Amino acid sequence: MPGRPSRRSVLAAMAAVPLTGAVSACSGGNAASSARTGTTTRITFWSALRGSQEVVDAFNRTHRTVQVEFQQIPSGGQGGYAKLSNAARAGNAPDVATIEYPQVPGYAIDGVARDITDLVGDGLRRKLLPQALGLTTFEGRVFSVPLDVEPMVMHYRADLFDRYGLRPARTWDEFAEQAAAVRRKAPDRRLVLFPTDGMTQFACYAWQAGARWFDTSKGAWNVSLADAPSRRVADYWQGLIDRDDVFMNAVESRQSDAQIGNGLVLTRLSGAWDAGAQMNARPGQKGQWRIAPMPQWDTGSPSVGTHGGSTFAVTADSRHPEAAMEFIEWQVSHPDALRARLSSGTSSQYPAAPGLVSVGRDAFDRSYYGGQDIYTLFEREAQKIGEQWLWGPRMSATQKVMQDSFARVSGGQGSLVESLRTAQEGTMPDLKALGLSTTQHST
Amino acid sequence: MTTTIRTRVPAGASPAAAAPSASGPRARRAARRRQLTAAGVLMTPFFVLLVTVFLIPVGTAVYLSFFSDDQPGLGFGPERTVFVGLRSYAAVLTDPTFLGGLGTVALYCLIYIPLMVVGALALALLLDSGVVRLRAFAQLGLFLPHAVPGIIAALIWLYLYTPGISPVIELFAQADVTIDFLGVHTVVPSIVNIALWSNLGYNMVVFYAALQAVPREVIEASVVDGAGPVRTALQVKTPLVRASIVMVSIFTLIWALQLFTEPMLLSQSSPMISSRFSPSMYIYDAAFTRNNYGLAAAASVVLLVCTIALSYGVTRFTSRADVSREAR
Repeated sequence: MPGRPSRRSVLAAMAAVPLTGAVSACSGGNAASSARTGTTTRITFWSALRGSQEVVDAFNRTHRTVQVEFQQIPSGGQGGYAKLSNAARAGNAPDVATIEYPQVPGYAIDGVARDITDLVGDGLRRKLLPQALGLTTFEGRVFSVPLDVEPMVMHYRADLFDRYGLRPARTWDEFAEQAAAVRRKAPDRRLVLFPTDGMTQFACYAWQAGARWFDTSKGAWNVSLADAPSRRVADYWQGLIDRDDVFMNAVESRQSDAQIGNGLVLTRLSGAWDAGAQMNARPGQKGQWRIAPMPQWDTGSPSVGTHGGSTFAVTADSRHPEAAMEFIEWQVSHPDALRARLSSGTSSQYPAAPGLVSVGRDAFDRSYYGGQDIYTLFEREAQKIGEQWLWGPRMSATQKVMQDSFARVSGGQGSLVESLRTAQEGTMPDLKALGLSTTQHST
Repeated sequence: MTTTIRTRVPAGASPAAAAPSASGPRARRAARRRQLTAAGVLMTPFFVLLVTVFLIPVGTAVYLSFFSDDQPGLGFGPERTVFVGLRSYAAVLTDPTFLGGLGTVALYCLIYIPLMVVGALALALLLDSGVVRLRAFAQLGLFLPHAVPGIIAALIWLYLYTPGISPVIELFAQADVTIDFLGVHTVVPSIVNIALWSNLGYNMVVFYAALQAVPREVIEASVVDGAGPVRTALQVKTPLVRASIVMVSIFTLIWALQLFTEPMLLSQSSPMISSRFSPSMYIYDAAFTRNNYGLAAAASVVLLVCTIALSYGVTRFTSRADVSREAR
């Protein structure tokens, strides 16, 4: 499962760690063990994604010259990234690592992810959605290969929308009117949650509005977290918060689970993958949810951002980059790989290789969404992904500072615009200490 | 190896200076040598520890703060290790989140240290005055929390502070008082409370031991001169345990500047505690989530320098006070 993993899958991954750790300790599960035995090249692969074991098994069954040893690791925020960084520092990183989009530039700069420009053939390039590959390409060099790309969509409670006479909003203005209407008609319900732990959601809103938090076009990292489109988005949500038209709490929390479970929140704005996560987490709400495109700022030129999604990188330590690349290419572009992944459970991940969409569509049980063909919707939305976006070199840190500040806003201190500025101020020292050329554009 | 040399150098210097006067008996020289060997052997473990757990880490931190694996421009080029001068220090000292952490810890010290020193001293004076019955029991009860490891203490208090599961908050709620121990303004006092609970008993014992050493005849003289118990405590006993007060203050200050465990754990349940709440948390975050070892090292050195400067300041301030008192 790509993007933000559900808590359940994180727990499962964490529970699996001691076991896989022990197994790999016996077999020496690191780069040192990736050795050529006869004609077989053995490589190692770390991932927190669900279904990875099934993918690796399918690969090993069908390949003779390359064999993959898989190790389940915790998801990034739960220690997976720290594990990868420390392993790379100690010189025993796996051959293939899983990195989410926001962290790709950081790992590229740290020299963990290898420059694989020459290993990514034209065939693979053509198979991938350009906007997805654009997020892993810097200065014309490719540092990782996208597995899935997740346009943000609006998940909504069709039954409650009917009850309150609503239709999915096409514009953000309409969305704000609906938020006010929901609060008037049902004082304990809200149209949507503003997540205090949601830098990735906020980034996605800003992305859609045309923001460029990071820009490398002039040979330096230009940072402008509070650019005009971002401020517009911040002011918009600040208005909703000030009028008490939205919930404001963490989305990764029991409180949020209760809001969704008890039908208190009518829409969820998140990536395409969340459709499958919702099915797994709340089977009882079958038939109540539908999915619609995001509200737009300008319906004349619609745009969306992405929320979630993972990529695969070959590490700089890898002694078999070609073999690693062969595995990655198969994993992101072969129908059998996606089928194997889906065999581990329902997933609605949107593949970065559009050729695989039909595999996902065929495997997906539509009854939860009342028979809606959500993949066709995702396909349309993926075309609208804004191409201007780049993630920054220390996104985990930027994320923490911004979210800490969001949390204070929910406690009545400061504003969302100030949170953006705080995040920028908390990011710059990091970039400077790394010795990067930086410029700031903060207004 | 270096440690033995180090220990011998200053020790070896004195017999050389003393040699002319002790010109002669071989036995005395042999005894001297035995003494030196014993001193060397006995002090070696200390210096080995000093070097391995203090000097080497400090040296590494200083090195990491001045050198960095750099790539020019956007950072995607090949790495090379270069001397970066004060770049990491400039970054740390212009980082509002680090300065905010220093501010937080300063506020924490301002609340915590006076409360701790005055509280521990007051308890020790009470116990010493004999007002308290069941002295041993009271002493044990106050000291016990110190035996609880910091992380466990933080867990206990986390339970008591978390709305929904805390019996304390529920009790207040029944009296129609809403209290949020982890709110914007209450979070520092809440951490101070944990620290006080953990350390009050320990410092009280330090003071109590010092009070035991106050000569009884001084107390008797003050009683004969007509001093009441309060006056005896404040104007006779307290000045006599000055040295302990200074020592406790310095130790408490050093401990407080390294504030880490409690906020780290409480941050799990309060968004008001950010990942860079205190300088120590900033250092941890810089090294392990931001993967920015230069920044973490520079911040560590800054914290070390602050700690040394403040400790030195406290010592100087109190010794100057001593001098001026003697002059009077």
